[in-house]
Amino acid sequence: MAAFPKTRTSAQKQESIFERILNYKQFGLIVALILLGLLAKFITPAMYQPASLVAMLRNNSIYAILAIGEMVVILTGGIDISIASTLSLSGVISTTLMTQNPSVPAIVWVIVSLAIGALCGLFNGFLIGKLKMTPMIATLATMYIYRGLAFLISGGVWLFPNKFTEDFTVMSQGSILGIYNITWITIILFLVAGVFLSYTQPGRRIYAVGTNVESAHVSGIKIGNVTVMSYVLCGALSGLAGVLYTANYSICYYGIADGFEMQAIAICVLGGVSLIGGTGRIDGVVIGAVLMSVISYFIGLLPGLSVWQDAIQGAIIIVAVAINIFTERMTIKRILKERGAMI
Amino acid sequence: MSSVNTPSHSLTVKKEFKLNSFLVKWEMILVYILVLINVILMIAKPNYYFAANTIPSIIQSGMDLSCMVLGMIFILLLGDIDVSVASIMVVCGMVMGLLKDAGMNDLIVVLCGLLAGVLCGLFNGVLVAKIGMPAVIVTIATSSLFRGIVKIRLDVNVLKNFPKWFQDLAWDNILGIPVALLIFLALAAVFAIVLHKGKFGRTLYMIGNNPVASLYSGINVTRTKILVFVIMGFMAGVSSIFFVGRMGGGLSSTMGKGYEMNVIAIAVLGGVSTSGGKGKVYGPVIATLIMAFLSYTMGLLGVDTNTRQIFTGIILIVAVLIPYFNKQLIDEIKLKLFYANNKNIEAVNIRCHEEVTEIRHKMKALKHDTSLSEADKAAKRKAYEDKIAALTKKCAQTTKAMKDELKQQNMKTNRALSK
Repeated sequence: MAAFPKTRTSAQKQESIFERILNYKQFGLIVALILLGLLAKFITPAMYQPASLVAMLRNNSIYAILAIGEMVVILTGGIDISIASTLSLSGVISTTLMTQNPSVPAIVWVIVSLAIGALCGLFNGFLIGKLKMTPMIATLATMYIYRGLAFLISGGVWLFPNKFTEDFTVMSQGSILGIYNITWITIILFLVAGVFLSYTQPGRRIYAVGTNVESAHVSGIKIGNVTVMSYVLCGALSGLAGVLYTANYSICYYGIADGFEMQAIAICVLGGVSLIGGTGRIDGVVIGAVLMSVISYFIGLLPGLSVWQDAIQGAIIIVAVAINIFTERMTIKRILKERGAMI
Repeated sequence: MSSVNTPSHSLTVKKEFKLNSFLVKWEMILVYILVLINVILMIAKPNYYFAANTIPSIIQSGMDLSCMVLGMIFILLLGDIDVSVASIMVVCGMVMGLLKDAGMNDLIVVLCGLLAGVLCGLFNGVLVAKIGMPAVIVTIATSSLFRGIVKIRLDVNVLKNFPKWFQDLAWDNILGIPVALLIFLALAAVFAIVLHKGKFGRTLYMIGNNPVASLYSGINVTRTKILVFVIMGFMAGVSSIFFVGRMGGGLSSTMGKGYEMNVIAIAVLGGVSTSGGKGKVYGPVIATLIMAFLSYTMGLLGVDTNTRQIFTGIILIVAVLIPYFNKQLIDEIKLKLFYANNKNIEAVNIRCHEEVTEIRHKMKALKHDTSLSEADKAAKRKAYEDKIAALTKKCAQTTKAMKDELKQQNMKTNRALSK
């Protein structure tokens, strides 16, 4: 009889620290980050001033929040391209209400925006989880519906900084310990998402559904409900991002955040979240978000490079997905080789 | 021997033409919608509708993306999706404009434009089929990559130098029929023949239904997929000719945003399933006209562009969901509502229903039977009716008994659980 393959825990114990670092999934990303950091040292040393680092984190916090929601959806094997429109809808509604009732405390608008986002997500989830629509098609349709609704509700009106109350803008623009509030909120959300995905039952169910729908179903998980939950979470986070966006830039109209869904997907893909579902961890998304913000900082800083943004972004996604797929294949090959050696 | 007599040619199933099923076909429903929109427009703006040039110009307004719909049918049939089509179209337009600026011959200009489309499609196809990346993410990425390339080259400039006949193609009529429509119909005919009459079309259906099974039955899935993406790129190139013509011979990097959404919406509205393996060419052709009429009508009725997008989105959702409300779903709802979620009860009911319909068929046949006298017929009919009544009564009784039993069982388990 063939020997039993070693269990994973025993295999891990034998690895040295060096090997463990090499096998760490986000190793390549960290190397890329360090290389870019060194490059910045020579090309744009201004990046290392505390003020510009803090500003960089502030400007990219919205992307990071969207990426957390997008990650939850991608983990179940779906995709949500309506997040930017959800952001715009919730931002427009809550900000318009804020300008009409300036005396109401800002926390109310946060709750309103979360509720609107969750409703948008619920509709997506209902279409995909219950009515079994293809995620891409369903969210493509709702992307245009939500954006159109945002236009209808705002009436095409722009809201300028003079209409914003101090109480409202301080949500994003205020700072604690020199770091902007919006960045703190993002960090808290990352921690909460990490705990939720790794240590709670619903979080593990998301992974189970993404890894293998059939086996998840057989082991008693209600697939539809988990799918709906993931889209609701994604929608709620996008809704929150909406109110933070308007508070951050003190401006609001129906066309805000056009194309942000691309950025969020790019961050997820960079962070090693597999689009087939089931693989991907929050630390990868954190590193992906930081890497993406460094790249966009480069693009913004170098003269004449701003027109390159779309092309570079597209190329990054393609390369990242290709690398993901190749490493997955390599892992499978390695596992097969180990198994072959044992037999 | 009877077995000899069974015809071997019965394998070729040819459904006989039935008016009832023809009238509720998806393509016919699309035709009704088209007529309905026309009627609405006729009532709302009678002066405008009956003016000489209105209908051709409405049709022309929808023809700039029509060619991409044909390519998209193939892509969706494979179960893939391509959201980079609008960007490919702009790339082709840019190549043509730049070459014309350089003083090239018209033929070379068009050929190079189409070649650019083919190359973009090839790029998508290789990434999707060879490397095995999901089509959604590849085309999302390439849509920003291709448009990014156009942005790098053009920045904020506008290309204005295009062959003159582009505009003629997009705006002229022959005998009151738009040239663009004629070309579109000709291309659609080619696609219909390839898809419905040729070997290649059957391959597409097979891959869409089950890629693994088709791989094992000797179909080169990789090559077919790449070829389909190349065709899509080529059609985007063709489309760019009409698009540039519609825009009055000008092109900038931000033009045609959101066209991919319209193209997919039209294909889906035309009855092409997004999960692959289902769809025909005829449906999307009619759906193209529907979209043209719909957006023109809404424009005339004073609905602005952003609100129109809501309608496009709703149409997309409804079109995808309508096939979902099929017999299976109705059965599921029935099972939950009437049969207490129990398959046995459902089976009893279905059996009863089938027997009853069989007897009804016999009754119908009886009416046309000339060999029997009227009295005999009446007697037989009476016997049949009695039989039906008895069957339904028995069925209701068994259902009730089974439901009661289920209830008792549930109570028992509940009691056991509460203890």
